[in-house]
Amino acid sequence: MERGTRDEAADVHALEPEAFLEEVHSFEFWFQSVQGYLAGLSFGHRPDVHGAPLAPDERERLVTVLCNYCVGETAALEGASGLVAIAPNRLTKVFLATQVADEGRHLEVLLHRLAELGIPAPESEIERRASRSLLHFKRRLRELVESRDWEAAIFAQNVILEAMEFTVFQSHARTADLVTREVLQGIVKDERRHIGFGENELGRRLQASPHIRARIGEVKKELDHWVLESFEETLREIGVPNEERPELGRSYLEVVARLGFA
Amino acid sequence: MSDFLSMYSVQHWLESCPQGYLVGTEFGHPPGESESELIVSDPLLREQAIGTTVQLVVGERCALAASSGLINSAPDEASKRFLATQTLDEARHVEIFTQRLFDLGLKKSELESAIEQYANPNLMKFAEVLLEKVDRKDFVAGVVGQNVVLEGMAFSVFEMMYAGSQTLNPKFAHTLSGTIADERRHVGFGENRIGSLIQEHPEKKPAIERMQKEMSYYMLATFADSFRNNPAREEFKKLRMSTSGAPKAEWHGADLNALEPEEMESLLADTVLKEFKVRLGRIGIEYQTPIRP
Repeated sequence: MERGTRDEAADVHALEPEAFLEEVHSFEFWFQSVQGYLAGLSFGHRPDVHGAPLAPDERERLVTVLCNYCVGETAALEGASGLVAIAPNRLTKVFLATQVADEGRHLEVLLHRLAELGIPAPESEIERRASRSLLHFKRRLRELVESRDWEAAIFAQNVILEAMEFTVFQSHARTADLVTREVLQGIVKDERRHIGFGENELGRRLQASPHIRARIGEVKKELDHWVLESFEETLREIGVPNEERPELGRSYLEVVARLGFA
Repeated sequence: MSDFLSMYSVQHWLESCPQGYLVGTEFGHPPGESESELIVSDPLLREQAIGTTVQLVVGERCALAASSGLINSAPDEASKRFLATQTLDEARHVEIFTQRLFDLGLKKSELESAIEQYANPNLMKFAEVLLEKVDRKDFVAGVVGQNVVLEGMAFSVFEMMYAGSQTLNPKFAHTLSGTIADERRHVGFGENRIGSLIQEHPEKKPAIERMQKEMSYYMLATFADSFRNNPAREEFKKLRMSTSGAPKAEWHGADLNALEPEEMESLLADTVLKEFKVRLGRIGIEYQTPIRP
């Protein structure tokens, strides 16, 4: 199977379940996937794309939003790297390693975008502008990973956090300046893969051990408040009109609902 | 520090590794290449190749656990991002060496039992010493153990194997060449990043030096187990003789095809220890001579 030449959709879904997992959790699969949309980009966007100058208040709002995206991506990087240690087998470890590199890239392109917007010391700016609810979520995710609770941690990381980022980034990309849009679109493509892994891994476990459901339900109940609050804050900053916000909240909840957590 | 760390960015890694020397490869080698028929068709040599590859998988599993485990204790974002790329490099190494086991005829269902059967206990001890530092979130000791000691050892072992495989087994040599390029980057990060941290935390030196001495002993014991009393010794001789007339397998001035196993062990051990001494000196750690098994 040569890289970049395979018709991914035709091949992968024709595989037996075990061979499917062997394939989609591999470095080779990751490489084929990202090569298609990262080739030729520099820090997440085409080098010759430049955004139009932003008005001061627009720039200010964008910096706050990007700072909070950095908090989310740092949480994802720390969460995914911690999950490698507790992953139950070789294939999940390898997949999570690809996710670790993805999250590292997301953090890097967002920091780079902040630098392009004239933020000289992004780390202190992030600390200053970070949302309280997002920081709480980050802390709680890390606790779940450190407690070595595989199912709860995968749920918080690859379902809740990734679904939240997916929904927000996708929505923001529609109205963002050209550079930010390309950066976010690249991230969204990665998030789709991460959510797929979370749903697949957790879905199989829930099917095999239904008693896990109650514990995951508790985690969801606890995290929902922080997620929805940071959701609301971010959507307000990126200028999503009031009437569209519940719709976006619903599409986030739909991802979670696919696993049976309404 | 930020200028130096920009050389270790995810963007730099993407351009040099996946979009650089890995382009056109499949599990680290050009598509269509296969294991040497000489090895696959000889039961003793095949078993020897499986045993050796298991040690590589064990080492890379340890490196994957260590690099991912160090991310959460890294003191700055740029180091976290470099370790994210290293985590994926190590996972790739686990994958390509595991694939080699399958290429040598191991069934997927036999993988874990083969690893249990062939994993060298001294290599497991080597890994334990390092992972204990990682578990304690000791970033400085963890990076020295991982990116200087473990990666330094892997770099020399892979280089020697590469030299020995170029003629006998080009597929394996190609697989190794990408890992050597990766290890060079990892060792570079370890040396460059950790020097300043050692200066900031001189109190950590004695424990790090003890760790290096301990890890070095287990490394030498692993080499000894691999080269001495090797049941495939006579088979290897045959294999080497079959390459007479082929170019020399030169490494550090010696022709590997002409060396006895004990001489190879000695060459490898001396090379790795010499490299340790130089690299540790650069970061301000005094090299500790290990006990020879």
